[in-house]
Amino acid sequence: MSFLRRYVALVDGFNYRLGRVMMYGIFALMAVLGYSTFSKVAGTPSLWTLEMAQFFMVGYYILGGPYAMQMGSNVRMDLFYGDFTPRRKAWFDAITVFFLLVYLGILLWGGIESTIYAFQYGGERSPSAWRPYMWPIKVVMCVGIALMLLQALSELAKDILYLKTGEPARADTQAEPGDAL
Amino acid sequence: TPAIVKAQTAIKWRFQTYAGAALGEHVTKPIIDYINTAANGELEIELFYADQIVPTGELFQALQRGTIDGVHSDDDSMASPTPLRQFGGYFPFATKHILDVPVLFNQYGLKEIWEEEYAKVGVKWLSSAGQDPCNFNTKKEITSVADLDGLKLYTFPTAGRFLAQFGVVPMNIPYEDAEVAVQTGELDGMAWSGITEDYTVGWANVTDYFLTNNISGAWIGSFFANEQKWAELPDHLKSLVMAGIEAGHTYRNQWYWGGEAKLRATGDKLELRTVPAAEWAEVENAAKAFWEEIAQEGEIQQKIVNIFKEYNSVINEAGPPYNFG
Amino acid sequence: MPYELIALLMFSTMMVMLFTGQRVFGAIGFVAVVAAVLLWGDRGGYDIGFSAAIKLMRWYPLLTLPMFIFMGYVMSESKIADDLYRMFHVWMGGLPGGLAIGTIGLMVLISAMNGLSVAGMAIGATIALPELLKRNYDKLMVTGVIQAGSSLGILVPPSVVLVLYAMIARQPVGQLWLAGAVPGLMMAAMFIVYIMIRCRLNPDLGPVLPKEERDAVPLREKLALLRAGILPLVIFAVMMVPFVNGWTSLVESSAVGALAAFLAAVLKGRMTRAVFETCIRQTLGITCMFMWIILAALAFGAVFDGLGAVKAIEDLFTERLGLNPWVILILMQLSFLVMGTFLDDTAMLVIVAPLYVPLVGELGFNLIWYGVLYTITCQIAYMTPPFGYNLFLMRAMAPPEITLKDIYRSIIPFVGVMIVALATVMLFPQIALWLPDLVYNN
Ligand code: NA
Ligand code: NA
Repeated sequence: MSFLRRYVALVDGFNYRLGRVMMYGIFALMAVLGYSTFSKVAGTPSLWTLEMAQFFMVGYYILGGPYAMQMGSNVRMDLFYGDFTPRRKAWFDAITVFFLLVYLGILLWGGIESTIYAFQYGGERSPSAWRPYMWPIKVVMCVGIALMLLQALSELAKDILYLKTGEPARADTQAEPGDAL
Repeated sequence: TPAIVKAQTAIKWRFQTYAGAALGEHVTKPIIDYINTAANGELEIELFYADQIVPTGELFQALQRGTIDGVHSDDDSMASPTPLRQFGGYFPFATKHILDVPVLFNQYGLKEIWEEEYAKVGVKWLSSAGQDPCNFNTKKEITSVADLDGLKLYTFPTAGRFLAQFGVVPMNIPYEDAEVAVQTGELDGMAWSGITEDYTVGWANVTDYFLTNNISGAWIGSFFANEQKWAELPDHLKSLVMAGIEAGHTYRNQWYWGGEAKLRATGDKLELRTVPAAEWAEVENAAKAFWEEIAQEGEIQQKIVNIFKEYNSVINEAGPPYNFG
Repeated sequence: MPYELIALLMFSTMMVMLFTGQRVFGAIGFVAVVAAVLLWGDRGGYDIGFSAAIKLMRWYPLLTLPMFIFMGYVMSESKIADDLYRMFHVWMGGLPGGLAIGTIGLMVLISAMNGLSVAGMAIGATIALPELLKRNYDKLMVTGVIQAGSSLGILVPPSVVLVLYAMIARQPVGQLWLAGAVPGLMMAAMFIVYIMIRCRLNPDLGPVLPKEERDAVPLREKLALLRAGILPLVIFAVMMVPFVNGWTSLVESSAVGALAAFLAAVLKGRMTRAVFETCIRQTLGITCMFMWIILAALAFGAVFDGLGAVKAIEDLFTERLGLNPWVILILMQLSFLVMGTFLDDTAMLVIVAPLYVPLVGELGFNLIWYGVLYTITCQIAYMTPPFGYNLFLMRAMAPPEITLKDIYRSIIPFVGVMIVALATVMLFPQIALWLPDLVYNN
């Protein structure tokens, strides 16, 4: 039990902080696209902005993903689920989280293979004229997916703790209306 | 009956082409259809178009792992991890005509180099052939080299690297998104193909001008297979696949050669523009420096650049129609 | 096992898993990667999931997603829409059902400033809903108005749904957006006509504001309030004019729009610390929700494609059943409607649209027009139980006197109006195509 608690505190704490930083990524994205607009108006459109914006977007939603999961942002189809008691929800989640874990695990597997490839043959470079090396973004993606996996395990841990102790291990993250979505 | 027995043991391949469905109809599908018909159920190849199963950037790894079994693409846009990468697609001013490509491969030694380099990275290279030249189709008209400045063009990585010195902003996006990207303003046009492809895939509908000057006379594209899947193929099917590919080369040779002439002469969607040859020579000369730069990158690169030089000196000495006079 | 059967099995497994209440992206992604591993496992089937992530990265129009979400939140959280509401309140209060009509007007203006229905929903539920209930408006009427009105956010440009559709159908976003404008206004007008008729027949549904309350606001102030309507038009113009003229690209325009909305809130002194915090946190949350669903759905789509499901569906409709193109089109819309009531709309778009859109093109229909039909279907899906974003939001935001049953019942007449609108645009494609033709063919 105390191991589970420590795990939850560690993972949730880390992902929370990371997410709070990634949240500001919207402005980084805006800045790159703003610069892109500006450079076009100035007459020399830059060749790296679109791809850079794509990299930022990937960082934004993959590294921010675990925090979004904590917030309860991921929609569920709640035709039946919505009417369950909290206890029943926890039971269901503790089982069906297996789907999520398998998905994230296989996603990570593919990611690691692709990242290994990105380091081979002198380093994979993007097929664009800017030709950035692909390993940095792939590493970011793998780290993000791995953190997502850890967060999903933490959700499982919280459900187990709740079922064992009867005390909600999850902070009430859906207090604000918009959080339901 | 033997036909049924064979059908039960059919070998299945997933094959992805660089082209979208409209162009793939001409550049890849005839080959796959030919093989499937002739294989009489022993080999069934399913054809997928650009980015359908894996995105073009991941094509090579997917081929290595066997997520897909065969590919039609060029070394450059599929980000080949070999030193051959820049030479696929459009290596600036390396060729003048579509037939230069098979000559370079079969008579000047490129075939052996390609075979060897791809064997090193665990992929079976099957065959290369020429296609259309690399012209420009744009929304703004180009009548001088200076007009290239500031144009955002969909182009190949190496062509983009070369054209950047003239102020071109090269963009690389998924093939099927290029047309829409012109309409949404992400692109001003393409430096990607001859006029046949412009009309076939619909780019002629969204751009207004076609520049008859090119930066290369023929696209160099290849067919590849997953090494293990190729090895597993019985010899008679190997011959069949190669025969299908050769038949496809022949079809494309005439399809492009005839299409380029006819659409320039009678097409009504793109207005032709030409930069005077004397002025375009500036671009050709820049290619010479670019060749030297690439040759410095390694031994293989040096060897290939030398082959291009040798061949170009031969055709220049031979005169028209081998060169433009 | 024949491929068609595997495809069917995948689809039905996914549906079953969705009903377990697990996160939508987890259920879809699980079916996708497991199917890929089972089918092609020995040969790299495991990399389909990650390939989808690279594909998604290269789908550059999705960069607009966080921008439009951010815009929506700035608008709703910073309360710059309050002035707008007051404008409609004062000017429309004298009509029977006038406040409900004004709310539709408010929703149209908000729709022009954001790409989803979330913002309209939030603004409607926080500003309009309590006011209208206080004025003794019928709660079913009010709830329906807000849900239906906010769904205009995806039809009136800019629209995130049309951006996604544009990527799948390979059609220009600019023309699709313009195509949505007139049908969006038409639908708003139809809502208004419905409200007027209902309130004429039964004035209790939407009582007229008392005269003394209306007269309490002097004419000068009334005129001054009209200025509130200028801001949305300015933000809309700042974003759309450079885009339609090709001065800025799609993604750049979205960033310009987001920046404009942000600056407007700052200049009006509404961008407090708390508002700022909510805006960027919620933008991250909603963006992640969408992106992870699309990521999983793309992998699902790639496996589906690999099974030749697209060809199978085309064969089924055109050759085996030998149906008339219009019958096929209507069947597709019906199946979209049915699936839309159950499924997550984004996932539906990424999984089902690639199956249908090529067929629509092959049958000779205009894909711009079809994009509008598709979007209206999505609007309906947003509101219909058991699964819909607007339903989620309404449930979360509605005051306790509005029960779940009320929410479900309230949408019925509005869904009826939407189906009439859908049929109208189907019968008269020019309603959608007139504006893009006018702008782009000159
Ligand atoms: Na909108
Ligand atoms: Na629904």
